[in-house]
Amino acid sequence: MSDNAIAGYADALFAVAAANNVLPTVEDELFRFSQALNSDENLQATLDDSSLPVDRRQQIVEDLLGGSACSTTKALVSMIVASGRSARLSSIVDAFIERSAASRNKTVATVRSAVELDDSQKDKLVAALSGATNKDVEVKVVIDPSVIGGLVTEIGDDIIDGSVRRRLNQLRENFR
Amino acid sequence: MRQRGIRLGLSLLLATLGLFAFAVPASASGETVGGCMAEVLEHHGEIHGDVNHEHVEIQVHHLHEEELQDELEGCFEAPSPILPELNEIIWGGGAFLILFVVMVKKGFPAVKAAMDARADKIRDDLDAAEKAKTDAQSVHADYEARLADAKNEASRLIDEARGAADQVRADLVAKAEADISEMKSRAASEIEASRQQAIADLRAEVAGIALGAAEKVVQSSLDDDAQRRLVDQYIDEVAGS
Repeated sequence: MSDNAIAGYADALFAVAAANNVLPTVEDELFRFSQALNSDENLQATLDDSSLPVDRRQQIVEDLLGGSACSTTKALVSMIVASGRSARLSSIVDAFIERSAASRNKTVATVRSAVELDDSQKDKLVAALSGATNKDVEVKVVIDPSVIGGLVTEIGDDIIDGSVRRRLNQLRENFR
Repeated sequence: MRQRGIRLGLSLLLATLGLFAFAVPASASGETVGGCMAEVLEHHGEIHGDVNHEHVEIQVHHLHEEELQDELEGCFEAPSPILPELNEIIWGGGAFLILFVVMVKKGFPAVKAAMDARADKIRDDLDAAEKAKTDAQSVHADYEARLADAKNEASRLIDEARGAADQVRADLVAKAEADISEMKSRAASEIEASRQQAIADLRAEVAGIALGAAEKVVQSSLDDDAQRRLVDQYIDEVAGS
């Protein structure tokens, strides 16, 4: 699947969510669904299994999202699964979030943390990242226990790694 | 040479014919008893006519004379075993002279020529033999020289072969020593590499175990306050960068 196709799907998602005035909600729900899908290989394989009927795969999506997501979000995910693009859903969602943030003149920063951040920490982090990059930054926090402690921030192609995992890896390299 | 032989043969033949030709008159000159008696009787006049003719009339009335009888008896006496008759000496001497002259003029030159030819031939043969001997000696010397050269060449080839064999053996020994040295060096390198790899693996294993233990300790020691401090520290570092 080419980058143009991913951008096309992202533009379509953005247009539907904006038309329904649920852009922030859809953005947040799709981001969480994408993170859940990335962490579950069985779910990825099931949704990408072309031997299963499309109705069956769409029913799985409906069962997963249930009442925790709005109808627009469920409809968009069902559309991606029905088109056989579930393997690239994460990329499509990332492009959609970038597209949505750009519409607000903001840049998305994906932050991986071992624990949840409170609002105060998020505000300080947004301010710090905005000051460091000279951009208006939005933060998407992903809970990742492999980080162990600290944070890992991805802004575009830049990565700011302040995790305990990185320090342990450096220590491992020093032993070699 | 052939002409000389012919001349010698002709000389001998001529001498033989002359001998027979002059010998016949000598034997018919009154050597027999009858001839002697006829000469005595004719000398005393007792025979009238030719004594060689069949009609000889012998008058015997003087036969009883003592002088005549002595002469007749003298005819029965044996000739001298040393001195021949005069006529034989004359005929023999003439024949000898003729033969001598013939031999001097013809025979001896022919014999001398034959002897000279024979001597020349013998001299030539001797010269040829000497030359052949010289040639043989030259060939022998050449053979000896070639034999010596062959021996020298053989000795040289043997020395070269021995030298080449020594060189090959030295090369093989050097190559074997080099191979052994290389194998030792390679083995030492492999052993060292294996040792270093084992050390590295052991160090990595120890590091993995230690880091695994440290990770568990860190995870267990990271409570909420520690997590908060780490996040705040990260935010401060980003803000200060």
